[in-house]
This record gives sequence, structure tokens and C-alpha cells, in this order.
Amino acid sequence: MTTATLTLKSPRVRGRHLSGLLTWRGLTGLALVGAVALAGLLAPLLTDTDPNAQGPLALAGPSADHPFGTDDLGRDLYSRVLHGIGTDLTLILTAVPIGALLGCSAALLAATSRWADLAVQRAFDLLLAFPGLILGLAVTAVLGPGRWPVVIVIALAEIPGFGRQLRAGILVQREREYALAARVGGSSPARVLLRHVLPNAVDPLVVQTAVALSLGVFIEGAMSFLGLGVRPPEPTLGSILSQSVAYLTTDPAFAAAPLAATTALVLGFTLIAEALNRGIRR
Amino acid sequence: MTTVLHVTDLTVDFGSATAVDGVGFELAAGDTLGIVGESGSGKSTTALALLRMLPPGGRISAGSVRLAGQDLATLPEEALRALRGRRIAMVFQDPMSSLNPVLTIGRQLDEALRAHGTGLRKAQRHARAAELLDLVGIPDAAGRLRDHPHQFSGGQRQRIMIALALAHDAEVLVADEPTTALDPTVQQQILRLLTRINRETGTALVVISHDLGVITQTCRRLLVMRDGRVVERGATAEVLSNPQHPYTRELLAAVPRLDEPSRAAANSTPGEQPLLTVRGLGKTYGTRRRSVTALHGVDLDLHPGETLGLVGESGSGKSTLARALVGAHAPSAGSIRFRGQELGRRPRREVQLVFQDPYSSLNPRMTAGQIIAEPLIAHGLGDRERRAARVAELLGQVGLDPATAGRHPRAFSGGQRQRLGIARALAPEPSVLICDEPVSALDVSVQAQVIDLLARLQRELGLAILFIAHDLAVVRQVSHRIAVMHGGRIVETGPADRVVTAPEHPYTAELLAAVPRLEPALAGPADSARATALASNRSTA
Amino acid sequence: MRTFLLKRLPSALLVLLLASFAVFLILRLIPGDPATSLAGPDASPETVAAIRSQLGLDQPLFSQYAGWLGRLLSGDIGPSYAIGGQVADLIGDGLGATTQLTLGALLLVVLIALPLAVVGATTRSRPVAAVVQAVTTGVLAVPPFVTGVLLVLVFAVSLGLLPAGGHESLLREPDLAVQYLAMPAVCLALPSAAVLARYLKDGIERALAEDYVRTATALGVSRRRIVWRHALPNALPSAITVLGLQVGQLIAGAVLVERIFAWPGLGQLIEQGVIRRDYPVVQDLLLLVVAVYVTVQLLTDLAYTWLDPRIRWE
Repeated sequence: MTTATLTLKSPRVRGRHLSGLLTWRGLTGLALVGAVALAGLLAPLLTDTDPNAQGPLALAGPSADHPFGTDDLGRDLYSRVLHGIGTDLTLILTAVPIGALLGCSAALLAATSRWADLAVQRAFDLLLAFPGLILGLAVTAVLGPGRWPVVIVIALAEIPGFGRQLRAGILVQREREYALAARVGGSSPARVLLRHVLPNAVDPLVVQTAVALSLGVFIEGAMSFLGLGVRPPEPTLGSILSQSVAYLTTDPAFAAAPLAATTALVLGFTLIAEALNRGIRR
Repeated sequence: MTTVLHVTDLTVDFGSATAVDGVGFELAAGDTLGIVGESGSGKSTTALALLRMLPPGGRISAGSVRLAGQDLATLPEEALRALRGRRIAMVFQDPMSSLNPVLTIGRQLDEALRAHGTGLRKAQRHARAAELLDLVGIPDAAGRLRDHPHQFSGGQRQRIMIALALAHDAEVLVADEPTTALDPTVQQQILRLLTRINRETGTALVVISHDLGVITQTCRRLLVMRDGRVVERGATAEVLSNPQHPYTRELLAAVPRLDEPSRAAANSTPGEQPLLTVRGLGKTYGTRRRSVTALHGVDLDLHPGETLGLVGESGSGKSTLARALVGAHAPSAGSIRFRGQELGRRPRREVQLVFQDPYSSLNPRMTAGQIIAEPLIAHGLGDRERRAARVAELLGQVGLDPATAGRHPRAFSGGQRQRLGIARALAPEPSVLICDEPVSALDVSVQAQVIDLLARLQRELGLAILFIAHDLAVVRQVSHRIAVMHGGRIVETGPADRVVTAPEHPYTAELLAAVPRLEPALAGPADSARATALASNRSTA
Repeated sequence: MRTFLLKRLPSALLVLLLASFAVFLILRLIPGDPATSLAGPDASPETVAAIRSQLGLDQPLFSQYAGWLGRLLSGDIGPSYAIGGQVADLIGDGLGATTQLTLGALLLVVLIALPLAVVGATTRSRPVAAVVQAVTTGVLAVPPFVTGVLLVLVFAVSLGLLPAGGHESLLREPDLAVQYLAMPAVCLALPSAAVLARYLKDGIERALAEDYVRTATALGVSRRRIVWRHALPNALPSAITVLGLQVGQLIAGAVLVERIFAWPGLGQLIEQGVIRRDYPVVQDLLLLVVAVYVTVQLLTDLAYTWLDPRIRWE
């Protein structure tokens, strides 16, 4: 009876990610992220209004000229939100891969010796001791607000997530018998690690990537909100949202578009992560 | 005798697949019934269906399970709960995972007792819990109620499982593979305990096992299952001596018998000069303050063309020895010589390892061909083309189709995977094969095929084999000589037949006595003191 | 437990030491002369010199570091530059408000997550499971700066039920204080509650699939007892670890939430410190956050060993 269940439990690995994505959860997530990302990418085509051009109409409601209305300086919100999405995605798609790469390298380094492992673990602990926004404050304290501090903060914040996940995976897989079999068969430690253990340990990282992307939107938004992010007038979702707060009582429509875009992006990434996770666990 | 359990036409479906197909039997009060079968026969599903505790996706689609005038197959959940543990109880296979790791044993017994509000007060339940532990033979029962499961040995945990099941003097006790995870000597103790409980309390017993020996030791009647159906039924002695169904005959023929002489001599003749010489091998784990010694000065010789059987129970150090021989860890003391030369820490092409578990020892991400080619690449043997040819040759050698080289391990059955493991070990042309429990995870029929394969390979390639197993019958069958390991030491070595027929060391004799025989011998002497204790418990509780 | 503490304490102290050094370095990493940038562009040379000697910038790096730690330990924290006043007083003023906010949020996290997780893991009704799923996913997906804005829109602007921002002492006006606390605490708690609920739900679901639950079922133990007495204790240890990590997120989130709701706490202070480049304030507050975080981690590790007997006895 054990035979039957075990065989059922190990369907094809690539297929598991795919089958996870091809559920209503995964598809909704993909659709949300896809729609928002497409809007951001096609911003120059969808609008030819300069996002930073100030106009005479401040805080106007939606109209034919300004589909989302205008902000307190009379700038077109439709253009600002679309370009803001573009800025957000550029920042996140730069920072998350850097963080992932650094985290994974550290985890591989940890696998080489006990001392390296201890050092890497303490390094992760150190990074975790500056949770999210606190890290943002620390980095901005040194570098001042701007694009790069945001990228650095997101990358640093992602390192322990990826690193610990991969380290845990390697520790589990390394004790499996196939790894011992490879060693006994004569494979070198590096080959055992890279050829045998690593491919079996990367599965959770796919999920982690989706989680990391949503965390990226989080951090960018929070930093912009506090005025620590990308310098004005360049629009980001967080900065538009932060501006709108002052006018919530009088012009709630101001906040609608950035709220919707941010929520759609984070919700989309979260749904994708969840769908992938279910796919793997199945 | 009155019938307590009446199963008719029981059918269990998982989706569109039928796991149990029209099983029926009757169980009289105090009777014993064994259900035997191989993987996928539906025996465990049958056991779970008796309490309607099927895993998600499974459902009883037809038939009835009548207990005390009620049909468990159709009873509402709440009424069913009132029967579980009170009138029909169950003992599961793995006593480690079947006990709650974060609750004390006392709490778990208390939970079982209060599950069916018998109006016992806390102090009474506490006393009853201690009684139950004592009944199943846990020393210092009252004192150990505050301990957690991990503080008990495997055998003791299984005793605790039985104590839980006995909490309400159920009429029927279902034991699903109750001794599979246990060593032979512990297995025998548990089987004796089950038999004693059956005799003293009159609890009817249903034992599910893949091991005919276990059933023979505990059950008067047995069912043989295959593909969800009962293919043969009858009194145990009758079925064993005069099997009717061809499958039963096959099964009986495949079971290795302890009384059959070794076939190794007919297979190959060992060479004179030892190939592998082990002297004073020691291995100590842990820190200096808290060290565990797994090997105490082990001496061993292995000759070309010889199969040396190594038997011992878990924790005896046999796996540690195997891993030291292939260089997976550095021994703390002693020497390992191959053809007279000290083996260093570099990879040992000449000594290869076959693993017990054909599932976890094959990399799920690699194809069969890649897995077998891996040692060739590691030792720099041949180029791409030559390796492909060698992989095809090896697959053929272990009886697999060379065209299957592109498949992943999951596409192979358990026995086929073990063949893959053997092909991988043979790839760098070793002269010594260390087989660590190579057949204990396999069904008996598959087990016989793998043993035949190893014998053929030895004949053809002149391999020296160290065959590590806990099953003495298998070991006798395949080995020229047998070494017995206990507490990190080799306590006895000798010709296979002599070690089995005339053991010199008391531990060897103990091991031999624990092997469940295929002749119905209803349990040995019982301690009647407990019987009276139990009788008085029943009247008070 | 003592042996465990002895094993765990050194690495906690090491992390604290490393973090303090990192925090210390922040001031030295600023491009240009820290004293000049601290004093501001209009400062007289005397002020710059005074700052330089006060910070000990003319001394070797290590003795500067030791001096800073020494001053912190002796309680002589020194003055702030841009904000004005003693750093110790500034921290003292904000500490109460922030503690109120984070502890309130922590309590809410547990109160929201526990029932959600238990219901989500045990319900047999599909709609209920879907609602729990939607709540945990949806709330998790919404950053606190979004929920904050939405809460203000609904409860302050539209309904006028709660004040949009501000703070009142819990001791002086408990009724009013709770009104002020409600929205910030909910806003801060929601993302962490969603994370905890998901972990706990997963943990309970996994525990319910374990063999020991099958044992309890076979013994006739009721479903309710199985969930609360058998499955939950097994799911708690790892949930505690997650909760510990979430405390870090609460502290970080407090900075944002205090800004949205004009809550006069340490988050506002550190934000002001960063924006106005008041480095002593930033440094000391960062170290305080790290110290709290490391302590919380140590406590969760202890709780873990206390909840899981397998570790307790080893």
C-alpha cells in the first residue's frame, strides 16, 4: 500500500509548478499581475501626457482628459499611475533577483563547511534583526532618499528569506540517501552539492520568488510613503498614495487608482505564490 | 461462540479505483483472524474500513461491517465515535508517529479513557492508566505516566499503543502491521503480548501483516488477499500445509525458511586470499563528553566470490560498518585493507554500496541512465558514447530493458528500482558489493527475484558480497558465512548453516528463537499473575 | 532549559554586538565629514568642532565605538542635534505610545489569527473555508499603508465613528485612548495576523493529517478535543516562531502606522531623525529596535523548547 501512495506523491516536478498555476488561484494571480504589469510597460503608448507636467486643474475628478483625475499639483493621475507602476516594477525586478542571488550564494557557501555555515547563519540573523522598513530607515540614513537606496533595501531584505529557505532545503536533501549514494559512487563534494542536492532543493525558491515580489511592492510603497523612496517628482505607486492621504477627507477619488494598482499587484503575487505552493505540496 | 464482528461484501473505492472488493468474514468472540497480503493487496485499507477511518478520497461503496447489532459502514459519525475505542479498537503500524509527540503518555491514556465518559474521576483515570501500562508490561508504570513518547523504546511505544487500544476492553482489536517497524526479538514480545491479551481478556483479534510468520504466530484463521479480493481463507494450519489457490502457493514458496540450508555453496566458491580485511574497526560519534560508540573493534574478512551475511538488530552497528567500508565516514580506529592495501579517504571504486530504500536512494530529478552513469563520470571512466553503451549493458545485466534509460525513477516499481540501485553499484566494476538491507523494503515475491539477481551476478562476476539484513532466513539462504552483530561488536562468525543450526553465542540463539516460524505454535508460557490482575480490573472498570 | 539558554545566549549576544557595530558604522559611512553634515550648513566652525570632539571623531574607530557603547550602557546618551533636547528624553516620550501600539497590535494578531486558523483548518463547509481563505489572502495582500488609508476613509471620513489620528494616554482617559488606538492597532495587526493565521492553519492541517490524530480518532476522541488538545499543541511551537518574526514586522510597521495616524511614538521620532539627519537619534533608536528584536527571538526560542518536549529533554 505504501508503494502506491509514494508513486502517486511524486508526479513530474515541472508539471507541479504548472499545474499549481493552472488553477483559478494561479490564473487570477497571473491575470492581476499581468494586467497591472502590462499597463506599466505600455505606459508610453497608453498616454502621451507627461506624468510630471503640472496643469491648472488641481484635484479634479475623473474626466475625458484625465481619466483618473488630477493630483494636488494638477498633474494627470492616469499618466502618473501608469508610469508609477513602471517605476515600481523596474525597482522590484532589479532588486529581487539581486537579493535572491546573494541569498542563494550565501546558502551554498554555508554548505561548504561548518564555520561557513555558522558565519552565514549569523549574517542572516543580523539582516533579520533590521526588519523591513527599519532596514530602509538605516540605509536611507546613510545614502539619503533615492532609487538606489530602495533597490538596496529590497535586495538586502530578500537575502535572508531566500538564503534560509535554500539552506534548509540543502540540509534536508543532503541527508537523503541519494546524496550518500552519489558520494559513495565517487562524486566530489562540489558535484554532489551542485548536481544532486541543489536541483532537489530549489523547489520552494519558486514560491519564495513570488512572495519576495509582493514584499518588494510592500517595501517600495512604505519607503515612498515615508518620503524615503524615489525622489519626487518621479511617480511611484507609494508616493502617489502618500500624497493622496492629505486629501482623503475632501477628495477620496485621488487615492483610488494607486490603491487599486498596489492592491492588485500584491494580491496577484500572493495568489501566484499560494498556487505554486499548493502545486508543490500536492 | 457468538459472532462479534460480521463483515459482508465490504467494498472500498478510491475515486474510480476499487481498493477492496467484496471482502467478507465473521469473527467470533475471542477469535483470532489474520489478513495477509503484499503491497497493494488492500489489507490495510480493509483494516481501516472496519472502523470507517479511510484516508481522504476513500469510501465504503458497498457491504456492511456489523458490530454489536450496528452497521459501522452506515452509522452516523457521532454514533460511530461512540463505538471506536470502546467496542472496536485499533493498533497501528508505526508506534513513533502514532503517538502524539508533545503529550505525555499519561495524558494520552487519559484522553482515551475520558473519550467514552465512563464517569471515572481524574484520580481513578490516573490509576486506571497506570494499570493499563502495567498490563502491557511497561516497568514502573505509574512513574512513567509523565514521560513523553520519545523517552520510550520502539517496542515500548508499541506496548503503549496497545494499552491505549485496551482502555475500554473492546471486543475487537484490529492490529495493522503491529510489528513491522520492530526488531525480531521485540516483535516476538509484542506478538506474545497480543496473544496473551486475546487469551486473557477474550478480545477478538484481527492481525494485518505482510509477514506470514507473524500471522502464523498469532492467528487461528487467516485470509489471503490479493488485488483487493480474498483469494483464500481457512484455518491457518490448513492453509499453510495445503494451500488451494495458486497465489497462496506462490507466496508460500517465496517465503524464505529458516530451516532450509544455504544455497550459496552451489552458487560460487570463495577464493583463498581475502579481498577485504577489516581489523579493529571502531567508530565513535558525538562530542567527547557525550559520545556514542557504534563500533567496537570489528574484525572481518571477505573473500572473492563469497557472500558474508551480517545480521543484527537496529542499533547493532551494521549500517555504520557498511558506511565505513565504502568510505562514507572515517572510522575512529582500526584499518580497512583491500587486497592488503590500506584504503584511504578517496573514493573507492572497488567497493560499492546497495541501499535498503529503493525510493530515497535514487535521485528523483535524474533519469535511470544518468543515475547509473554518475559513478562512471565521477571515476572518469569512458567518454559519453562508451558510458551510454555501458549503461545499456548494465541495465541488461540487472534484467531491465536498456530502452528504459531515459525514464525517471518514479516510472519504475519497487523491485525495478532496487535493480537500478544494483546497476549503479556495479557501474564502476567493483569487486566488493556491500548490500545494506537490500530486500527488506520489498514484497516477498520481489525479494526472491532480487536475491536471485544478486546470486547470478556473483556467479558471473565473481563478486564478494557483504549481505546485511535482519531476516535470518534470507541471510542463511544467500550466505556462505554469517556474522552476528550486537552492540557494535561481532559476537559470532561461522559457516551459514552451522550458525543457524548450532549457534555458539547466546545472542545468536536469542535471535534465532525470535524468528516467527511458519508452523502454528500458539504462544509460549504466559504469566498468569497479570491474568488475575486484569480480571479484577474488568470487574471494577 | 538552562543548557539551552546557555547554548542560545552567546549567538544572540553576538548578533546584538554585530548589529551595534553595523549601526555604529552607519554614522561613519556618510559621505563627507559627519560632523559638518550633523551640524548643518549654517553651523559655525566652533559647533562643528564641538560635535567632532563630542563624537570622538578624532579618535581611532574602535575607541569611538567603545565610547558610544559605554555611554549607552551608563545611561548618558547625549543630546540630539536637529530635533533638539536629550535623546533619552525623546525616546522616553515616545516609548509609551509605541509600546501601547505594538502590544495592542500583538494581542490583536493572536486574537484574530487563532480563531481564523482553527476554523479554516477544521471546517467542513466549503463556503466557510473559502471565506477564511479569502480573508487571509486578501488581508495579507494589502500593505498597512493601504489598509490605513481605507480605514480612515471608512471609519473616520464616511462614518465618523473614530478619530482619524492622534493619541491619548491609556491611564488618563482609557475610553478615549482605546478609540484612538483602535484603527492604528488594527491596521498594524492585520498583515501579521494574516501571516500567523496561514501558518497556524497549515500547522493544524498538517497535524490533523498525522498518524497520532488517526490514533485518537480510532480511540473515539471527539473531533473538538482532537483539534484543541491533540493537533493545536503540535502546531503551536512553529507558530510561536512565526509570531516572533512578526514582532519585527510590527516594530517596522509601527513607523508607517504612526505616520498615517499621527501617533506620537518612536516611529515618528526615527522617521524625523532620518529625514532631518539627526544621527544620534537614529543610531540609538536602531540599536533599541535590534535589541528588542534579539530579545524577542530569544524568548520565542525559549517558548519553543518549552512547548516541544522533544527539544526540552535533549
